[in-house]
Amino acid sequence: MSADVSPVFLVNGSTGELVAAELRDGIDELDLQHWEHNWRPYLVERVKEMQAQGVPREKWPQQLHWNWRYKARVAEMFLGQRGFAIRCEGMTQGLMLVGLVSDARIEEQRGKPLVYVDYLETAPWNQSSLQRPPKYRGVGSLLMNAAVSLSLEETFGGRTGLHALPQSETFYRKNCAMTDLGPDAAKQNLRYFEMTPDQAQAFLKGGK
Amino acid sequence: MRIHVTPEWCLAMARREGDLEVGAGLRAPHVEPEEGASSLVEARIAFGRFVHLVRRKRGISIERLAKDASLDLAEVVRIEDDLHYNPDPRTVYQLARVFGLPQRPLTELAGLAVPKSERFRSEAIKFAARSESMEALSVEESQALEEFIRVLSERHEA
Repeated sequence: MSADVSPVFLVNGSTGELVAAELRDGIDELDLQHWEHNWRPYLVERVKEMQAQGVPREKWPQQLHWNWRYKARVAEMFLGQRGFAIRCEGMTQGLMLVGLVSDARIEEQRGKPLVYVDYLETAPWNQSSLQRPPKYRGVGSLLMNAAVSLSLEETFGGRTGLHALPQSETFYRKNCAMTDLGPDAAKQNLRYFEMTPDQAQAFLKGGK
Repeated sequence: MRIHVTPEWCLAMARREGDLEVGAGLRAPHVEPEEGASSLVEARIAFGRFVHLVRRKRGISIERLAKDASLDLAEVVRIEDDLHYNPDPRTVYQLARVFGLPQRPLTELAGLAVPKSERFRSEAIKFAARSESMEALSVEESQALEEFIRVLSERHEA
């Protein structure tokens, strides 16, 4: 079965120009091969450089040991999990896995279903901590758009939740205007962010 | 599902995103890339790929293997795909039983026992390197698998 593909655009980090890309509903074998043969070696090389330069471990990329092949396989087997990928110029630029069985935590939305972003990662060359300028900008916003759109499609009203990696909190707090519910002791003390239906509508309009 | 975005939305959001990091999800434990840890990871790659290839070579589905070995389905998936998963000795014993292979070398391959022979270790790493593709059981993979099963059996007989 071929994936649903949406035409989208990323921005070239060097020129600032729009580049045609595609958002794919589903993570397929090609995306996993890109992760395995392109993302992972790139990350490992960068970490070796950091290690040689004496960069403390806590500053290494925190998604270093994520295994997308395993995650995608588990998602295939369990209902209520969906994967998305962004490809641009023949290469996977971002991956996201979401679940459909979580409930909202914000008081006025408590107990209502939401789309929970289990994992979201952009290719290492799009991460400014690893490459400056990043090759493409906009991957995170497009993947979040997919999560919010899925929430609307599932009649969850756009409600979306996630645990942000520490270096990504600003993106979710400011760019996505999600509500910061603070550190979650049950989830490695990562801060939990949630988007209400109103916040979702604002996000889809571009925060205007 | 499809999304509908305009070039203007993409441009505005990408500019706002700028150089911000966007990762979300629980962190995996740190184990790489220190000396020593890497050989453990290589061993696990070899074990995971070995289980994966033997299963497919014999035409067994992952669900069937889990049932025959009395293992949880999610555990078999983790063995095949998650480098950080430590199978316990019972699990390795059950897999060895289903595959009809000697238990001790499989235990070494799973990283639960120190390999007695350097040759075995290097063969395991060579096997991991040769069986990189998870897509199709190619002639080369099939050959790598058969050679490695021979080495496993030699270890057992030695």
